[in-house]
Amino acid sequence: MPPAIVPLAEPSRTAAGPVSRTGGDESPTPPLLPTPRADRLDPERLHPALWRGHQLGRHAEQGCATGYEALDAQLPGGGWPRRALSELLLAHPGIGEIRLLAPALAAVQRAGRLVMLFDPPAVLSGWALAGMGLDVEQLLLIQAASQVPVDPGAAPPGPSRQVGVQARLWALEQALKSGHVGAVLAWLPPRLAPDRVRRLQLAAQAHDGPAFVLREASAQSSPSASPLRLGLRAAGVDQLAVNVLKRRGPPLLQPLHLRLPAMLSPVAARRARSAGESEARPVDVPVGQGADALAEPVAPRLPSATFVNLA
Amino acid sequence: MLWIGLYLPWLSLEAFVATLPPEARGTPIALMHLHQVVSLNRAAHGLGVQRGMKRATALALAPQLLFGEAHEGRDAAALQAVAHAALAFSPVVCLSPPAGVLLEVSTTLRYFGGIDRLAQRLDDTLAPLGHRVFRARAPTAQGAALLSRWRDGVQCPDLATLQAALDDAPLPVLAAAQPHLETFQGMGLRHLGELRRLPRAGLARRFGEGLLDELDSASGDRPDPRESVVLPPAFDSEVELFARADTTDQLLHGAEVLLARLVVWLSARHAFVRRFQLVLRHEGRLRRAEGPSVTPVDVALAEPSRDAGHLQSLLRERLAAFVLPAPTLELALHAHDIAQQPPPNTELFPTPRNEREGLVRLIERLQARLGPARVQRLVRVPDHRPDRCAHTVPYEPGAAPRAPEPVVTSRRPVRRQARGAAERAAASPAPTKPPVLLAHPLEPERPAPSMRPVWLMPEPVPLAERQSRPLLEGQVLQLLCGPERIEAGWWDEGLAERDYFIAGTAEGALVWVYRARLPLSGGEGWFLQGRFG
Repeated sequence: MPPAIVPLAEPSRTAAGPVSRTGGDESPTPPLLPTPRADRLDPERLHPALWRGHQLGRHAEQGCATGYEALDAQLPGGGWPRRALSELLLAHPGIGEIRLLAPALAAVQRAGRLVMLFDPPAVLSGWALAGMGLDVEQLLLIQAASQVPVDPGAAPPGPSRQVGVQARLWALEQALKSGHVGAVLAWLPPRLAPDRVRRLQLAAQAHDGPAFVLREASAQSSPSASPLRLGLRAAGVDQLAVNVLKRRGPPLLQPLHLRLPAMLSPVAARRARSAGESEARPVDVPVGQGADALAEPVAPRLPSATFVNLA
Repeated sequence: MLWIGLYLPWLSLEAFVATLPPEARGTPIALMHLHQVVSLNRAAHGLGVQRGMKRATALALAPQLLFGEAHEGRDAAALQAVAHAALAFSPVVCLSPPAGVLLEVSTTLRYFGGIDRLAQRLDDTLAPLGHRVFRARAPTAQGAALLSRWRDGVQCPDLATLQAALDDAPLPVLAAAQPHLETFQGMGLRHLGELRRLPRAGLARRFGEGLLDELDSASGDRPDPRESVVLPPAFDSEVELFARADTTDQLLHGAEVLLARLVVWLSARHAFVRRFQLVLRHEGRLRRAEGPSVTPVDVALAEPSRDAGHLQSLLRERLAAFVLPAPTLELALHAHDIAQQPPPNTELFPTPRNEREGLVRLIERLQARLGPARVQRLVRVPDHRPDRCAHTVPYEPGAAPRAPEPVVTSRRPVRRQARGAAERAAASPAPTKPPVLLAHPLEPERPAPSMRPVWLMPEPVPLAERQSRPLLEGQVLQLLCGPERIEAGWWDEGLAERDYFIAGTAEGALVWVYRARLPLSGGEGWFLQGRFG
């Protein structure tokens, strides 16, 4: 947004904003003042990048549909933003993040464009990706990091991986700047400085498509230049809790609960739910703490049967 | 006939400056030949240095003066590049030594849309070479050469105006008059017109036939056969750096000149380069004993190109990850692998075609910097074993990213393989391998992809165990689905006999774990195989 627009818009907002209007309701409106017309109330008529604090921000372009209606409704532009970074914070890979992104990535591929994955933290299974509707032929993996860690869920490795950070960010920036890649999905190195993210965000402005960066959950406390930040957390079997940390719009207090495409058969899913309840009951979790309280190292009461074949 | 004469007044100075590191290019520079200053740049001129000075005199005026030695071979290579640039506009291009190029354009005027547009495009083509060029147009080759040596921008459409322009030209433009300039000055002659009005017999007797021949061919009274420049079939050019280059960054500036020459050669051939080789010649004295004397740097392109900026960025990325074995003195560029193909259309709006080109360039750049093995694509292998069903192969340059590839996606080969195995088993029952009853007889051969995790461990991670149930990060995993027996690989080394389960962690994420069916096949206990992304 050009900064010159803001001072221009300021007087009309204060004159026609809600504050002066409520004041006008209480006391008779002075006849000399022009009554605020409806069209002057809309800041978007002044500039397409302007929006009110209680509205969702509007982008000049429509976002990419996420494939989840509940999420689309909460994102500015009605989907994953183009020409901007979307930051996803998650504790470790493997909580359903690929299932969350797969519909958008598949839509990009259906448009005949390439999807680039940067430094995936483990081996990706082509069969599973194809099962989610992705075209494996239109995926390109860039392994700029020196090596792949053994367990993606393990703690972030030490300084050995810091060697390739420059090369990783360079490769990602080149892909974003070129503007020829349909969608970018990048696993960023841990503890990245905010100016690096800002640099990526600037590069992403040339990228006509969604650009996802996946970072560790502790990055939530550090500032970031990406206009959309989501915290992801597993919330039960085939469910994902999406916490909107930052968006162009009012803050969202409650996390969204998304139902992901099922990995388990209905019987197994029911069993998982009942197992969760049976585990939750004896521990006596206070209401409101949810899954975090369940993660406490308490010994749950085990069912007597060790293996039950229900699939 | 319409000749364009190009004259490069500072050719040898510019050819020398091109070998300097960029930070030294603004300093006062003088070129020496036979202990005399023959050429100097503006900064040196501002300090009072002049042509013909001795080295000591020049140094007294400007102590920081940078001296270079004039080198005919270097000038000839630079002039040849200009001739190659001109060959893109006309098949008849002649060298006019020491620093001129002539091209006959009457046959190609119509194609290029007139003389003005042609001159504009010629300027654009010459610009990357970094030379200051004087141009003149005349109906005769010699006339164009003389006028371009006089000043920039003389235009003579016919012989009459050419004669008038030549009469005003000063005498030093004549090559044959160079030894007699002092004599002419003593005779009071300054312009060609005054010389031409003198009796011819006397001129020929005193100054030789060459003077009159040059004048006659300039005015069109005498035939002027010339030999055209022929383009070499392969490109080889080299440049000697003024200072030895210790870093690859310094090399790049020298390589810029070579790449610019390569691009004009390519445009003259109407070709595109597929791969080129930059050869670094190292200094012998400081070289380590085991070090090589030359280091070749190969750059291969996925798609033939002649875009100087693109070639340069590829070379930059290539050299950035390169450690020089020794300081470099000389650079040579060889391009033997070229592709003849029609030039790409220029497009105003983004189209799939130029998006694809941009994508290929991006991949080339990534491969040049990171190494070709780091740009990969996924391959699906029809195998039941999770550690073999997915792997990555380096992306090959040349293949389009979305070209269909023969990856077996149907289930048929698997089934055939399984049936073949069953027939073999039926024909000759192996006593060591009794037929195993699968836990799920109705299980599909290719398991439903949705039941497979996206993330696979490169190596299965052993899990701790509590009350015969697996632990992940200190927490008991809840087995939700299974077992699914995968028993394969008895025909090769990787025998796997495992019972797979989908398990849920306490937070609700799903993981894929297995237990080895027999203790001897791959360890005992529980292993983590994958995570559901």
